[in-house]
Order: sequence, then C-alpha cells, then structure tokens
Amino acid sequence: MALLELEEVSKSYRTDGVTVEALRGVSLEVDAGEFVALVGRSGCGKTTLLNLAGAMDQPTAGEVRIAGVSTRRLNDAALARLRRTSVGFVFQSFQLLGTLTAVENVELPLLVAGQAGARRAALERLDWVGLADLANRYPHQLSGGQMQRVAIARALAASPRLILADEPTGNLDSATAESIVGLLGRIASEQGAAVLMATHSQEAAAACHRLIRLRDGRIEAIEETGRR
Amino acid sequence: MKALAVLVAALSLPAAEFRLAKPGYEYRFPQDHFAHPEFQTEWWYFTGNLSAASGRRFGFELTFFRHAVAPEAASASPWSVRDLWMAHAALSDIEKGRFLWRERINRTGPGLAGADAATGCVWNGNWQVCWRGERMQLEAVTEEFMLRLEVVPQKPPVIHGRDGTSRKGAGEGRASHYISFTRLSATGTLSYAGERFALAGTAWMDHEFFTNQLSDEQLGWDWFSIQLDNDTELMLVQIRRAGGAVDPFSHGTLVEVSGRSRHLEAGDFRLEPLTRWKSPATGALYPIRWRIQVPALELELEAATPLASQELAGSKVLLPSYWEGAMDYRGRLRGGPVTGRGYLEMTGYDRPVRLSPPPPAPGGRAASATPPD
Amino acid sequence: MKARALLFYRLLVRPMLAEPLRTALTLLAVALGVGVVVAIESAGRAAAGSFRSSLETVAGEADYEITAAGGLPEELLAKLARLPVPISLAPRVEGSGRLAATGTPVRLVGMDLIAEGGRAPVRGQELFEALREPHSIWCGRAVATQPGQTIRLVIHDVAREYTVRGLIEGAGLDSTLILDIGAAQEALRKPGRLDRIEVRLPESASPKVEARLREALPEGVLLRPAGARTEENRKMLAAFRWNLRVLSYIALIVGAFLIYNTIAISVLRRRAEIGLLRALGATRGQVGAAFLAESALFGALGAALGLLAGRLMAEGALRLMASTVDTLYATSSPAPLSFDAAIIGLAFAVGLLVAVASALAPAIEAARVAPVEALARGRYHWERRLAVRRNLVGTLALASAAGLASLGPPLGGKPVLGYLAAVLLIAAMALAMPALIDAVARLNLARLAGVETLIALRGLRASLGRSAVLAGALATAAAMVIAVGILIGSFRETVSLWLEQQLAADFYLQPEAATGAERDATLDPALAAELARLDEIAEVERFRAYDISFNGLPAYLAAVETDLARRWGKLRFLGGQDREAILERLGTGNYAIASEPFASKHGLRPGDILRLPLAGRAAEFELLGIYTDYSNERGYIVVDRDVLLGYLPDPAPTSLALYLQAGADRTSARAAIERACAGREVRLISNAELREEALRIFDRTFAITWALEAIALSVAVIGMAGALLALVIDRRRELALLRFLGAAGTQIRRLLVGEAAALGLLALVAGSALGLLLALILIFVINKQSFGWTIQLHWPAGLLAAALGLVYLATLLAALYPARLAQRLNPIEVIHEE
Repeated sequence: MALLELEEVSKSYRTDGVTVEALRGVSLEVDAGEFVALVGRSGCGKTTLLNLAGAMDQPTAGEVRIAGVSTRRLNDAALARLRRTSVGFVFQSFQLLGTLTAVENVELPLLVAGQAGARRAALERLDWVGLADLANRYPHQLSGGQMQRVAIARALAASPRLILADEPTGNLDSATAESIVGLLGRIASEQGAAVLMATHSQEAAAACHRLIRLRDGRIEAIEETGRR
Repeated sequence: MKALAVLVAALSLPAAEFRLAKPGYEYRFPQDHFAHPEFQTEWWYFTGNLSAASGRRFGFELTFFRHAVAPEAASASPWSVRDLWMAHAALSDIEKGRFLWRERINRTGPGLAGADAATGCVWNGNWQVCWRGERMQLEAVTEEFMLRLEVVPQKPPVIHGRDGTSRKGAGEGRASHYISFTRLSATGTLSYAGERFALAGTAWMDHEFFTNQLSDEQLGWDWFSIQLDNDTELMLVQIRRAGGAVDPFSHGTLVEVSGRSRHLEAGDFRLEPLTRWKSPATGALYPIRWRIQVPALELELEAATPLASQELAGSKVLLPSYWEGAMDYRGRLRGGPVTGRGYLEMTGYDRPVRLSPPPPAPGGRAASATPPD
Repeated sequence: MKARALLFYRLLVRPMLAEPLRTALTLLAVALGVGVVVAIESAGRAAAGSFRSSLETVAGEADYEITAAGGLPEELLAKLARLPVPISLAPRVEGSGRLAATGTPVRLVGMDLIAEGGRAPVRGQELFEALREPHSIWCGRAVATQPGQTIRLVIHDVAREYTVRGLIEGAGLDSTLILDIGAAQEALRKPGRLDRIEVRLPESASPKVEARLREALPEGVLLRPAGARTEENRKMLAAFRWNLRVLSYIALIVGAFLIYNTIAISVLRRRAEIGLLRALGATRGQVGAAFLAESALFGALGAALGLLAGRLMAEGALRLMASTVDTLYATSSPAPLSFDAAIIGLAFAVGLLVAVASALAPAIEAARVAPVEALARGRYHWERRLAVRRNLVGTLALASAAGLASLGPPLGGKPVLGYLAAVLLIAAMALAMPALIDAVARLNLARLAGVETLIALRGLRASLGRSAVLAGALATAAAMVIAVGILIGSFRETVSLWLEQQLAADFYLQPEAATGAERDATLDPALAAELARLDEIAEVERFRAYDISFNGLPAYLAAVETDLARRWGKLRFLGGQDREAILERLGTGNYAIASEPFASKHGLRPGDILRLPLAGRAAEFELLGIYTDYSNERGYIVVDRDVLLGYLPDPAPTSLALYLQAGADRTSARAAIERACAGREVRLISNAELREEALRIFDRTFAITWALEAIALSVAVIGMAGALLALVIDRRRELALLRFLGAAGTQIRRLLVGEAAALGLLALVAGSALGLLLALILIFVINKQSFGWTIQLHWPAGLLAAALGLVYLATLLAALYPARLAQRLNPIEVIHEE
C-alpha cells in the first residue's frame, strides 16, 4: 500500500480578491522506501503539494491520505498529531532555532509530542547523520551542510514514515548538496520511509527513484530514473 | 461581721475624721435603714432559705456595702470618689449542687449606687432593695439568674449589743451600730437556667454601720444566723484570734418569739467545728459542720450545710475569699427537739483577714484592694 | 510534563535571558505597576486600620454603643444602670490633646476605672490611691516610658502637668491616655456629659434584652452596634481609598500596554519559529498557551518584584496617606503595614491577570500562525493588516459609550461609571492610534525634517501594530498626567479663590490642642469677651463645631453667630440662592445650612428636614441652603449659635475669628491679642497664614496623587526604552543595509532618536487630547460623585507644559541607549549573520 496517496487534489488561494489555483487535480502515490523528486519552476505548486502531503493544510478538493489516514475529516489538532507521528520536514533554510544546540533542535519534535527520553533518541539520529560529536554546538557554529544534517536528524527524530523535503539543497554548495541528497536517499533505503523532495536541482532529482514534473499545478510527467 | 469589709479595709483613711460607734446612739426608723455617711463603713446584708412549690430549695445572698475613702469628696464632680459601693449576689442551688455568685463595685457617680431615704432604696446598679412601707423589695439581675423577692418583717428590728452598740474589740469606737430583721417572710420569683420559680421562705437582714472595728490580732470570724422552728432566732459570732484562741469580744443575740432580744457574751456559748471541707479554689479548710452549745438557753445544736461548695473565692491578689452559705440546724432545746435554718459566714480561712492597713511598704505605698472583675 | 517544561524553558525562557536588558525593563515595568497597587492597598489598609477605636483593644469589644451628637447626660448612665436587664455598661469620655513638649497629638479616653477595674488596662494596687490625685493618667509608650513620670499636656487651651501612674500596653495604644472618667470630664470640659456608653450583653442574652434597652432610651439617643464610629470613619475614607486605588492601577494599565507590546513583539519575531513548531506537530492550543505562559512568567516575576517594590513604596504612601487622613478625615495613628497572604495574593492576582489579559491577543495571533509559514522562504515579514477604517469606527463607538457612561449616576456611592468612561476613552485612543500614526507617517516631511525623519516615520508606519501600542502606552500615561494635572490645578485654583473670598477675618484663634480633623478642642469661653474689649478689635466671632454622625457618616455640626456672619461673612450659596434671605432666617429658629460636600453626600436639597439626635433630644432643622465649602470633606451642618446652645449649653468656641478696627495696625493688634491670651495655649493665625496653611495642606493631600502619576509615567518611559531596544534588534538588517548605503553612524542614531521623538510627539498630542477629556470626567463626574466638590475648570498651563516637556525629554532619553546600540552595530557582522 502506498504511504502517501493524493487523489484528485486541488488547492486554490484567495489573495487580494484574486483566486490562484495552486494545484489542479493532482493524483499521485509514494510507497514506503521510495525516494521521489518533485520538480518544476517556481510557482508551479511544489510547496503547496508538500504542504498538503505534510498535513499542514487541507486541499480545496480531492483527498490526501498519509499512511492510510485521510486528512479530510481531521481538525487542526488531529492534523498536528498526524504530523507529529507520521511526517518529518526538511526545509531549504534549515529552520534551526538559533537559541538551541544541535541536539536540542533534534529533540524538539519529541518534546512537542511530550515524549520522554528525547535526548537518547536525538543523539542516535545525530549519530546516524554523522554529527554525534557536534551535538552541543549552536547552529551558528555549524556549516550549512552540517545545519541541514541536523535538520534531517530532526525530521527523523519521531521516526516518521513520510519525509518531506523542500529544496533541501537550495542553500548549499554542490558537494554538500550531493551528500545531503545521499542522506535523504539512505532514509528511503535504510529506514524504509517514503521521501518526497521538491528540488530545482537536476543532480538532486537524478538521485531519486522517481521524478514528478509539475507545471501550473498539474502533473506534467512522471519519470522513472531507474535508480531503485 | 461582713467579709466585704475586707475589700477596702486596706485603704481606710485614718478613721479620726469619721464618727465612731458609741453607746447611746438613738435609732430612728425608717431613716436608720438608709445611709450613714458620717460613719466610714456600712452594709446591708440579706440572706435566706427559699423553696419552690415543688420543694426545690435555694439559698440566696444579696449584700450592699458602702465604704468611704474620704470624709469629703475632692471636687464637686459626682465622679469624685467619696464612697465606694460594692455588692455581692449569690444563689445556692441546693438540689443541683450549684453555687453562683457575682460581685460589682461602683462609686456613687451620677447615681450608679447609693442608699437614699427619699426613694427608699439601697442599690448598686440594677441590684437593689427598696422599702415600700414595712416591706422590702429585693432585685438582683445577673447574667445567670434574676431574683425578685418581697420580704416582710415578722418581728420589729433588733438592735444588737448593749446600749445600741455592738462591741467588737477593746478601745473606744471598736464597735458598730448593728440592726437586724431576724425573721423576714420572703416570696418572689427566680429566673434561672431557663426556668422560672415561684419561691417562698424565710430571710434575714443585717444592717451595720461603723468606723474602725476590729484589731490586728483578730484573724477572722464565724458568724451564724439561726432561725429556729419555735419562732426564735439566734445570731452568734465568734472572732478567732491569732494562735487559735476565741476572742473575748465574740458575742450573740437571742430574739424571742415576742421580738424581745437578749444579748449573749462570749462565755454564753461554745462553737466547735466538726467536719472540714477543702476548697478546690483556694485550698482553705472551712468547717462546714459545727456543734453549737448555749448552756444558758439549754440549747445544743448541730449545724450542717446542705451544699459544701458555697465559697465566694476572690480571684484577685488582695480580695479575700470567704464562705457564706445556707445552713440546717438540728438539736435539742430545753430537752425537746428543735430544728432550724439560717446562714453561716466564715472568713480568714485562706489567710488572715487584715482589717486595718499594714504599715506602708518600702516604696511608700500601702496595700490596697484590686477591684473585682 | 517534563517535556513541556523543557520546551517552555528552551523556547521562551532562553530568549528572554538572551536579551537581559529588555527582559529586565519589561519586568521592571510590571513590578512597578504591581508595586504601586500593593503599596496603595497595604498603606490604605493601614491608614483605615488606625480608626479602630483604641479602647476596643483595651477593654474588649462591646456589643453596642449609646451616643448622641454633643454627648449624653451622665444621668442617663445611672438610669440605664438600674434597668433590670443583664447588661454591663461602660461610659466613655473622649477627646484629644497634645504633648506640650513635642506637640504630638494624643488621644484621651476617660473611663470608669473603678467599675471597669477588672477590664481596663489600669488595675493593680495603686488605682485607688491614684484616683485621689486629680491629675493621674495611664498612658501608652509613646507618651511616657515609666510610671511616676510627669508630663505636660495641652488640652483645649490649657497646659497642665499630669502624673503617669502606669503604662498601658496594646496595639494602637501608644498615643492613648486613660483618665478616670471624672478627671476626663474636667480636663476635656465636658462636665456632666458622656460621649458614649458601651454596652455589653451576656452571650445568652435574648433579643428581649436589646429591646428593653432600646425602650428605655430617650428620643434623640442612638443605640448602634459598637465600632460604628470606626465603621463610619472607614466608610468616609472609602471614597478616598477607592479613588487612590483606582489611580494606583494606572501604572498597571500602562504596564499592560507594555506586556502586550513585549509579547506581541515576541510573537512577531517568532512567526517562522511558530510555523516550524506547528509543522513539527505542535497544536494551536500549545502555541497559544506557550505565549500566555511566557506572559504569565512576566506577570509572576513582576508580581514578586512588585511585592518588594510595594513594600518599599508603602512606607512613603502610608506617610502621605496618614497625613491626609489626619487633616481631612479623623485623627489616626496608622496600624502597622502588614504584608499578609491577602496582599501577596493581590500582587500575584493583578500581576498574572494583567499579564495574561494583555497577552491574550498576541497569544491568539500566535495560535493562528499556519504551519505553512515555516516553509515560506527567507525571513517572513509579517505585519498585521490593521483595518484602520474599522478601528476608527470602533474608536467612535467606544468614545460614544464613554460619553454615555460619564452621564451615569454613581453606583453604590462610587463613580464606577465615571471610571468606566475613562477606561473606554483610553481604549478609544488606543484604537485610533494606528490611524493617527499612519496619517502622520504619510505626510512628506522629508524636506522639512531631513531624510532620517522620513525613514523614521516610514519605519513607524511599517511597524504600525507595534508603534501604535507604544504610543498608546505613552499617551495613556501622558493623558493621566494631564488629566490629574488639570484636576489638581483647577481644584487648587478653586480652593485658593474660595479662601481669598471666604477668609474675611484678620486673625483666627484656635486652641493649641486642636488637631487636623477633630473639632473637640475648644477655647475658654471667657476669652472672646476679653478679646472683644481690646481697642484694636472690632468684632469677635465665635464658631463652635461638634463631631457628629449623620446617617451613618461622620459630619460636623457647627454653630455660627448668624448676625456676625451676615455682617462679615461671605458665604456663597449654590444655585444662586439669596444669601441675605437665608441668613436672616437662620438666626430665627431650627434652621440649618449645609456645606456642599455634606449635601451631595447625603443627597440633600433646600427644604429638607435634618433630624439630629442632640444631647439626648431629637432635634429637627430645616435646610435653608447649601453653601460652597472646601474646608472639609465630611461636611458641615451649620445652625445658629443661640439655637444650638439651647440644646448643647456649652459656650466654649472651637475657634474665634477676629476682625480688626478699620485702620488698626496688624503688628500691634497681634501683640495685643497675644498679651490677652497669655497663659493660654492658643494658636493665633493671620488671614494670610491660614490661607498659606490651607494650600500647604492641599498640596500635601495631593502629593500621593502626583507620586502615582510619576510612577505611571516612569513605567511608560521604561516601556518605551524596552520597545525601542527591541526595534533596534529587529531592524538590525535594515539598519546595517542603510550603513552599506552610506549612512553614517550618527545618522543611524538620529534615525532612532527621530523615531522616538516622532512617537513621543504623537503620543503627547494624543495624550493631551485624551487628558483633557479625562480631566473633564475627573472633575465633573468622578470627583463630584466621590467627594462632592464643585471645581471650576482652570488651566495650569505652566504645570502642564513642564509635565509634558518632562515626558518628552524622558522619551528621548529612553531612546538614547538603543540609538547608541544601533550606531555601534557592525554592518558586516549583521549581514553575515543572516
């Protein structure tokens, strides 16, 4: 069964009296262990799609199911709980809290979920991304790549089965970007999570199993890269 | 011989400025029932044995006491203290074994206490006795009981002692003018413990005024009022001296059926304590059973109280404690049986009664009384 | 629980600690606000506590007391003492005097030391002996330290030696003197009279006992629960305390603006962070609660600090209050300040309440942040869309509501609606503030004031939500200063004019023992006649006043020589009543006039009948007119001297007014009067001195009001400093960019100061407008309903200009440190950081 299912999903916004159709009838599935890239020009609806896939927002029409759970009838608190347990996010600008150390940043989702023993789990994740010895550094003491690794560790903290990454390499140099994409790929292969990554980068997209091209809120094409 | 004297005895001024009780005093009634301010000390004393219709027995005591602290008031203000007025009201609930008593002290003030021939009343606040002709109306209101009695003399007033003077010690003026109604028929009501009793019985009244009475060696006294069922009455007072001797100025009075009285000297009677009761409050040992012998009258009586606990226990340092309570008498008169009732007062058992001021203490101050609560 | 605490610490406490100065400023603002409330409350309680009759502590609580205006005949005591009901009666004669050596006021109490010997503090062996001496006293520790001492006491106009026979112990008895009742009557010139009879009933007493007692009392004698006087004094003080209490909350309201601002900034800055947390699965409730908790933390810490601050301020507040209470209400010796559970509870309650209430809006705002905002790229600059037009409608609605509320009657004797109107006006101003800033910022002032000012103004406009709150806080504080300034200025001017007009005599004579509010000290009745014989003197007017109780409130009953008042006095009657006609009738019988505060307090109008229990008789007086008077808040009932003497035959005057012969020399007249008074303890006061003294008392009375204003203002300035600091920190990037664009450090500083200056100016303009409206409410609604004075509006222009100047200066000063901080920013570091 697919971990993430979008069925005829549409999303429109109203700003300043103008309706913008960000997504128009998008259907797709991502399976566990699958690493999928989302490509397309700015404004094509990538971020909107990620928001809907991450239970951060409700579609205007259609249905989103995460691990078989439809977001449709969930209220805000239930959506938040669903995100807590099932979804991990990685952002372009890392979104680490400057006042927290690396390990504290990783702990954050666990603390939000009210889990005890957050420290051990957080250190394990940091170790997994290869930053165990930098656990007590503050973000401004880390390089961009290191920051993104911390962010990935954070996304993994609550062991979600769906990882969403929004331009995770956008602020990184190419060498670092490659290692980050590799890391995301390992999440899919080693942890069996479904990873959906929005990216502008050809190289990054090429590292994925599958490639979904968006254009004007529609899926233009789905391509297998053959890298499974 | 009244215990309240002790309250203020210690603050007596030199008595010279007051009139002394001397032989030849001419009694005039009803004026002499009221105040004699020229004498330093004066008291009115009512005691009696009463019964309700149900037979429930009560004893009562209502006393009014005046003591002048100065011959003249210091100023025209009514609050300026010339006379202090003290009073006691006590109720003996024989059946329940309860003894209730209250005391109060006032100055004359704007009319807080006094003895006024014009209105016929002797009063201290709302405790009072008012003469209405021959009859006297008694009223005592306390938090615990309210007693209203009308008492009617069955005999004319008795004047104790010789030549109108009752001697208490050696020397001029150690005496009092002492008047008694020895048999008063009493009727009235008592409100007490949520009940109202109609009471009847026999009461006794003493009225005494004097300046300077007892001497230093006199420790205390035992005073008996005895109302016998043959319609005669007896008053006996025994003054106890240091060392246990009986003072030669002890005395008594016999009142015959006709009302005629006969003076008794110390040698005419013998009082012998039989049983003692220890006061839990003061630790004093009071004789509450006595043998009374008056050989000249061929009278022998045993005196016993129906209620041991009738002590007015002074709570303050200088306020003496005394026992004053209802008594039963039983014995033989001229070979035949006789019974009677009356009252007994005993003083000086917790410590010697000091009637005249001790020498000034270092610091220049004589002992004085603490007013009651 | 642990996870939540850890989150709270990491996400909210740590950032607070990261900006210690700003956090400290916010805490300080809250602490000051809470501190003022605590100080006023505890000082008020102590001041009111002082009314507890000292004898209550001495002789135990009575159940009832029997009183009458002008005292009771002592025969009544004798009569009641013989009532066949089980009550105990304790007569009291009371008055005041002064220690000759220090002038310290003391309270004199005469009691029946013989009858009450057991209960009174005075007992023991020396009592009877001491009673033989007429000048024996027993006293508290403030009067003498050991028995046997001789002290000189001034009672009325006589100084005399008294011998201390013993010391009395007990709370509030330090300045109490006990005399035997007769001695007290003599010393206080109350022969044959008692002030009160205390009544104790046995616990078991049936209601019949009280009924019997009531029946036995003659008409014109009051039987009331014991402590009624204390209660009356407290009631009288209630309005004063209530108004002070309300004023004490101003600082807190200003503080609330600042907490709001702090939390709003916190939310604003952390929008992305909030979005992230939401993305990580935090619910709206969690986010909202977190910000409320942050605010509550400010509230709790502020309250704790506020308790300390309040403790410090309470001493001063109590001193100021006590002197006011003494002069205007009743002689008192304040109870000790106590910081008990109630006060601590109050501190935390107001601290937390204000904190949570002011954080409510920002917390809701935070809870509304959508998780998608975390995904927004770069720094998301958010500014609340202020619906300027809708706010203006709200402003109008609030202002209209305020107008309506100001027309309302007092509720429960308190100007609740008046204060509501004031609060609504403040809210209206706060709502209008964004529009005002927007409008000003749109003006193209570049040419006029330079480019820095333009950027500064645009900066304000860009952060409208934030600057509006700041300006609102400052404007509120400024408005209160202006309003209270106008109130006090107007009041002072009114009183001053009244004094000028009212004080017609050349000299006034008082007994030395006279103390602030009590009127029981009198002058030797013979003195008036002696003075009248002096060549220099044209007329001597005798004035007599009694402390009485009217409808459960303390008042004065006064007697004037009506013909002299007609000839010399300048009474002004309200509603244009004819003075001549009123005074002509006043002397002819049972008529009275009343002072304005008295009439308004009791809702009386000319034609009403005043019923007074006078010396054991019931007396009725028809009210002829109401005159303006600012001498006392209790108020006066004034009747003709001869009429009152018919009831209370005490000829001793409370004071004398001396009119000099035309052309008489003041200096020699004064000397002659002093010669005539030789041997008497009197105070001779000239017209000018009295006027000065009155204004001095006036100023002292309002000292505490000014202090409260100053503190509110300090809170606003502190808030301003804190907010500007935050502004600098948040706009580092923009400021650094300006540096890259070639702006000099000094220009940056000027920019910041310029913003503060613009904000300050705006706040002052808005505050002045608001302040004027508040002043009108204070003068014509709140004051009128609380105290009953009629105050003419005056503009204390100099005072207001100075106050506003000070506020402005303080605002600029508050901007200096943040401005320097901005100037010192290293643009390279700042840009790199981002």
